[in-house]
Amino acid sequence: MSGIAQKLASNQKQVAISEFFEKNKHFLGFDSLARSLITAVKEAVDNALDACEEARILPSIRIEINKIDPKKDIVQLIVEDNGPGIPQKSIEKVFGQLLFGSRFHAIRQSRGQQGIGITGVVMYCQLTTGRTTHVRSKIATEPTAAVVDIGLDTRKNKATKANAGREIWYNEDGSSKEHGTEVTAQMKAKYQKGRQSVWQYLRMTSIVNPHAEIIFVDPEGERHHWTRVTERLPTKVESIKPHPHGIELGQLQRMVSESNDLNLNHFLLNNFSGVTNRARKELCQAAELEGTRKMRAIKGDDIRNLLEAFQGERLVNGQPAKLLKPPTNCLSPIEEILIKKGLSKTIDSRFVTTLTRVPNVTQGNPFQVEVGLIFGGSMAGDKPVEILRFANRVPLMYQQGGCLLTKAIESVDWRQYGLDQAGGKGVPKGPAAILVHLASTNVQFTSEAKEALADNGEVMEEARKAMLEMGRGLRKHLEKKKKMAKTKEKFELINDILPAIAEKSAQLLNRPVPELSGSITKIMSAVISESTTVWNKATKQTDVDIVLFNYTSRARAYTILATWPEKSGATMENNDTGGRKEALGVWAWKLDALQPGERKSITFSLSGLERGDWTETEVLFRGSQDVIGATKMDEKFLQEIRRQEQLFKESEDENTPSEQTLDQAPVASAPPVVEEVAEPAVAPPEGQRTLFGGDV
Amino acid sequence: MSRMHTPEETKAAMHEVVAEMYDRIVKGEPPTMTLPVRTKNNIAFDKKLGVYKYGKKQSIRDATSLGSAKQLLRALHVVEFIEEMLDAGKSSTLREMYYISEGWGMGKFGSQNDSNNLAEDLEIVTKCLREDFKLRPEEDGARMIGNLTLRERNRRGEWMRINARDDVGDSGYGVPYNVELEKIELLEHDIDFIMAIETGGMFDRLIENGFDEDYRCGLLHLKGQPARSTRRIMKRMSEEWDLPVVVFLDGDPWSFRIFASIAYGAIKTAHISEYLATPSATYLGITADDIVAYDLPSDDLSKKDIEALNAELSDPRFADSWWQDQINMMLELDKKAEQQSLAKYGLDFVTETYLPEKLAELGLA
Repeated sequence: MSGIAQKLASNQKQVAISEFFEKNKHFLGFDSLARSLITAVKEAVDNALDACEEARILPSIRIEINKIDPKKDIVQLIVEDNGPGIPQKSIEKVFGQLLFGSRFHAIRQSRGQQGIGITGVVMYCQLTTGRTTHVRSKIATEPTAAVVDIGLDTRKNKATKANAGREIWYNEDGSSKEHGTEVTAQMKAKYQKGRQSVWQYLRMTSIVNPHAEIIFVDPEGERHHWTRVTERLPTKVESIKPHPHGIELGQLQRMVSESNDLNLNHFLLNNFSGVTNRARKELCQAAELEGTRKMRAIKGDDIRNLLEAFQGERLVNGQPAKLLKPPTNCLSPIEEILIKKGLSKTIDSRFVTTLTRVPNVTQGNPFQVEVGLIFGGSMAGDKPVEILRFANRVPLMYQQGGCLLTKAIESVDWRQYGLDQAGGKGVPKGPAAILVHLASTNVQFTSEAKEALADNGEVMEEARKAMLEMGRGLRKHLEKKKKMAKTKEKFELINDILPAIAEKSAQLLNRPVPELSGSITKIMSAVISESTTVWNKATKQTDVDIVLFNYTSRARAYTILATWPEKSGATMENNDTGGRKEALGVWAWKLDALQPGERKSITFSLSGLERGDWTETEVLFRGSQDVIGATKMDEKFLQEIRRQEQLFKESEDENTPSEQTLDQAPVASAPPVVEEVAEPAVAPPEGQRTLFGGDV
Repeated sequence: MSRMHTPEETKAAMHEVVAEMYDRIVKGEPPTMTLPVRTKNNIAFDKKLGVYKYGKKQSIRDATSLGSAKQLLRALHVVEFIEEMLDAGKSSTLREMYYISEGWGMGKFGSQNDSNNLAEDLEIVTKCLREDFKLRPEEDGARMIGNLTLRERNRRGEWMRINARDDVGDSGYGVPYNVELEKIELLEHDIDFIMAIETGGMFDRLIENGFDEDYRCGLLHLKGQPARSTRRIMKRMSEEWDLPVVVFLDGDPWSFRIFASIAYGAIKTAHISEYLATPSATYLGITADDIVAYDLPSDDLSKKDIEALNAELSDPRFADSWWQDQINMMLELDKKAEQQSLAKYGLDFVTETYLPEKLAELGLA
């Protein structure tokens, strides 16, 4: 991300902005008229989301695009947010200065890694239409909004401002606006629809920002509304210091030259993460530098030596210096439940599974992979699945084929999980969409265009593992669906067809209608489980009810297990059947023998959740005879849960002694959050009072 | 030999099917319907009758799956429907029954094929005939031309005497769906044999060329896979008039199947083979040899053709060496030919050269 900045900084004086822009428009995101508009929207929306996040405000963003002169492709873009607003004197800086707020030393997961920011948009507008960009912004503590027109003096390469003033900002309904910012810009650009469009960008943004409300009025005047599905703001991300493994020479040179530290010892301890006192000693030894050396005295070759020590190329006692891993709590994953909500609100489907892996580290940079899969509903079944790629919550819309995240999807044999895939390679086909999100303090792209992630073995492996786990979820869902359909058929058989056969045959033979219970047991010959998960408005709890029917002629004994969102902070209440914890997010109940024709139920309530957070409970069983409506416990699956749980604990231990405080527990990676939407439930066997004495 | 049943006999036979279901429910078991397996693996040659009949393999259709249970319920509705027709002295076509089933709620048919199959199932289990059930097929029977005379009872119940050469137009005598004694009597003929022909084009060619008169034969148009009534009237003519039957078809695997159903009995109707099949029928052509001997224009075998030929190799009806040779030869040639490919040598070649040569081999010309 420092690449552009450096280039800009060094070029700024010699090259006219217009020339610079023209030369670099492909990686600034202004290389085509269609893309320019997306980039402009992106910069404005990113700013709005970042500002709201920092001020802990739930964002409401309104985007409007108008065609001013369709023949000349001139459009007007208006982006309004409810952010904290910008103080009058800072507006110029935000909109007119190229490198505002750049922080070389602070490393954090931020959206701003991409593009050159809103200033680029101001430049583009000026260069293509000669017009300034109108900004209106109000902060809560001031009664009026500041307004100003920002432009660029292309001759002097400086920001210009005009018509600065103050006004009362009225909302559409006549009330006055509390706080927020509105940008109105005119540029040469083209509005188009499809996979690479403003609409798609906003849709994707809304998926990974479920806390945001986004309204888009397109040039035809149509209003698209993506609602807010959670009141929970993303976790505040902490900055961390760079880790020696992730440092490049240029960066180290700059850090050394800008250092105010007393000596090398202090420099190492103060400016890096993962460097303990012992590591500090080892690094100095490996670099053959005295720890007490003044920073001024550290020059060219010394820096190179230090870097080699950082990278383990210089050894101490035949070994690289031992460094701690960087803390991973600087990452802000979207989290499983929220991805699920984001996906469900945007795409109509039958099944959603999401998964957040435990954070990991590559080349000194913490990263975390999250995936989501949405299946069924109105999606086309014969087309490649839709791939939704994100880096630090920013949608990636171009260069899909060259992206690491796409490659991770392609590396999985999806056929075993129920999707079509020619030869077990490439993008699978089917009524599904796959989401992949990489959160990292240092996202590596293939090029300055920042649309495709560069290859990285560790990230690839994490993404792949996440896909596999998700795939298993999909397969289970499909198997369950098949079983449910079969069960539904059986109920139709015993509830409708069998009584009709009995009645008709009796009528034809002129004999009494026979008793059906014996036939029913023989026909069903199974134990059937049904579960309901419903939101209880009165108690603000999610009530789960699991019922087991024995339709066989023998007594059966089972251990029933159920998934529950333990790691999302839910607590289990009113669990009268007792049982015990099996693993993180899995509870188990050992049941006494279930007699033929007997029915048993397990009920509990979950509190600490919002409505819609948990809508489907997966029921599993241990026992010899199959249970229709439940999945046989896969002990390997359980092992994976326990392994992730262990990893989670370890990473927690690692993070604890560092200077960072854990303000939010990272999320262990199992079991995946699974939701099945509006799946038709199997009707209980009504009218079969012979078996259950009417207590069904 | 199957024969017509009285309405009372028919009802009693159907009630046995109903009672099987009823009794199973009373015993606390899923209701069932037992019927022979209807595949080539369960047909065997009946030496006494000279045709292929179903073997001993039984399949039990029980109500443990939704599909089977629905079939049982449908069967009960069909039984009820037939009883009503018997009582009212009415009859209906299979297609009409299919539409009537719209009113049967959960017992309604999914497709016409369902209802046809179920009617056959009931025939097999009750040993009654479709005619006993007052169910008529949709398909029309064959056309016939030649110097033969029969009596058909018309709608008014009057007997009409018809000569299939002098009393008919160019399209010949249309064979009705019911060709039993109550409807048709074979009176007299002045022909030496009967020739069954697969395609309408060839049938018309032979008529135009006056083949029936020149060679003293009756011509019968099969219209592809022949209807029951077509096979039945062939059998009656062959037996009652003691006439040889020769079968002239295309030279492809599907024609072999048509021949097998004429001569040995069709798999689908093996329960009434002795009533429909003509064991004395002879396959005249087109044979695999003919394709080579007459250098006929031919097409390559398709994948389905090859599958069909391979299936025939293991079909007991084609077990004799002549058929095995013909099938293997066709597979080797990888070719098939149509009857009308004989026109390569002119319109009269079939009547002046091909058929006389083939009939001479059989001693019929």
